[in-house]
Order: sequence, then C-alpha cells, then structure tokens
Amino acid sequence: MAAGPAVDPRGPRFAAAVTTVVLAVVLVTGWWPLLAAQTVVFAIGAFIGLRPAPYSVLYRALVAPRLAPTSEREDAAPLRFAQTVGFVFALVGTLGYAGGVTALGVVATAFALFAAFLNAAFNFCLGCEVYLLARRFTPRTEHTS
Amino acid sequence: MTGLWVVVGTLVAGLLVGALLHRRNGRIRTTAEPAGESAELPEPVTAALAPGSAVTLVQISTTFCAPCRQTRALLSHLAERTEGLHHVDLDVTDRPHVAQELGVLRTPTTVAYTSEGREILRVGGVPKGPDLLAALGPHLVPEVERGSH
Repeated sequence: MAAGPAVDPRGPRFAAAVTTVVLAVVLVTGWWPLLAAQTVVFAIGAFIGLRPAPYSVLYRALVAPRLAPTSEREDAAPLRFAQTVGFVFALVGTLGYAGGVTALGVVATAFALFAAFLNAAFNFCLGCEVYLLARRFTPRTEHTS
Repeated sequence: MTGLWVVVGTLVAGLLVGALLHRRNGRIRTTAEPAGESAELPEPVTAALAPGSAVTLVQISTTFCAPCRQTRALLSHLAERTEGLHHVDLDVTDRPHVAQELGVLRTPTTVAYTSEGREILRVGGVPKGPDLLAALGPHLVPEVERGSH
C-alpha cells in the first residue's frame, strides 16, 4: 500500500498538539470513551490515510487558511507509522480502562501522551526513530507497506 | 487526582527527554581504535564503501524516518562538494540485522569509514555539516601517492 502524497509538515505537528490535549484530558478525567474516539482517529490516519484523518481535516479547515503556504513537504510513510504506534497504545489503553484494569489504561495512555508531546513540542517522532529498536524485538515480522 | 499527576509526570519526562535528544542531535562520537580483531562489517556496508574515496559516509535509514530525508539531502550535498568524500544511504527497513550488527538503534545514524573499512566516527540524528567536515578533516587530506604494485 502506498503511504500517500507528502504533506505540509505543520499539519501533523498540529495533530500531535491536539492529540496531546486529548490524551491529557483522558488521563485527568479517566473518561475512556474519549480515548476510544482517539483510537479511531489514530486508526484512520494509520490504515486509511492522512488526508481523511480528523485532525488533518481540522487543520486544513481552521489552521492552514490562516498560515502562509509552505512548499516544505514531509513524507507520509513515517507519519502513518507513528499513527500506527499511537493506535496500538490507545487501543491497549481503551481496553484497560473499559475492562476495569485502570492501571493498564493509565500506563498505555501515558506512553501515548509522552510520544505525542515529544512530537508536538520538539518535532521528534519517537516511533519513527526507534523503529529499529522495535524491530529488534520482533525479528521475523514481514513488513509490506 | 492520580491522573493529573500522571499527566504532569509524563510532560516533565517529555521535556527532559526532548531537551536531551535536542542536545545530542548531530553530536559526533569518535570511534576508538578497535582493541583486537575488528568485527566483520555487514555485506551491504562493505559493498557501499567507495575504494576511490578516502572516506565513505554510510547513512543508516528506514522508510519510517522523517529526519533521514533531511540527512540524505545534507550529506549528498556535502559529499558532492568535498574531495574524497562519498555518501551512501542504506535503507535497512527490510534488513534490520544490518543495523543490529552495527549496533545502530535509531535512525538516521551516519557512520564514517575509511576506504579500508575502518570506522572513524558516528553521528546520531541530523549531522551538522561544518562540524562533520572538521572532524573528518585529517582523514580527507589526500594521501601521499602510494607506490603502485
């Protein structure tokens, strides 16, 4: 599957900021349906595409018109990989909260918050850079993307 | 209430790690002389070494790495205008064992080799061009003509 066209790098940065706020609210309130919604947001970005991802839509509708256009572009593949990592943590977190294993929900959500915050504040994609580290522990998985 | 503390703790940890990563980005680590027998280099690396260049920069990348693209542009430009410097971008997405054998955990990591395959230095993250050139300086000086055999 093709990752899709390159994107305006400020879009994913905006998405990471929104994600950070959403995950922080989940942790403070413990309201897991919000985390479930965030899981769906991650899933759209990871498995369908960046363009239809809700925060990208929000960025194009609300933020992009107010900014000067940029010719800078960022590859879509790393971004979609990062959304996949986010999806896994958010899914585990949702299952933890909903299934009554609150500690699991809190820890998984905190990890997702950590990664989203690093992305929003430092433009550092944790999932992308430690991809090799992740592969080290899953040596025989075929990756076709 | 616990949730609030988790948020605060996570954000503080994020700030610390972020600042640390920011500081370490592009830092050059000189490789110490191997004590005994030097480990054998993975095949894709030996294949990438340019015999005609004094130094080859082997960049370890993956498809899922945004700063790799930036690094590739910077290093290929640097190699183009530097005598005796060669640059190769090695995508290890589908062959992570190459990175494992080199002890590379994050991408991009750039390893500089002499034409004989001896490691000179490593740079994690996006390198800083002038710093890298300065560190490689002694190795880039044209070698005295060796007697041909």
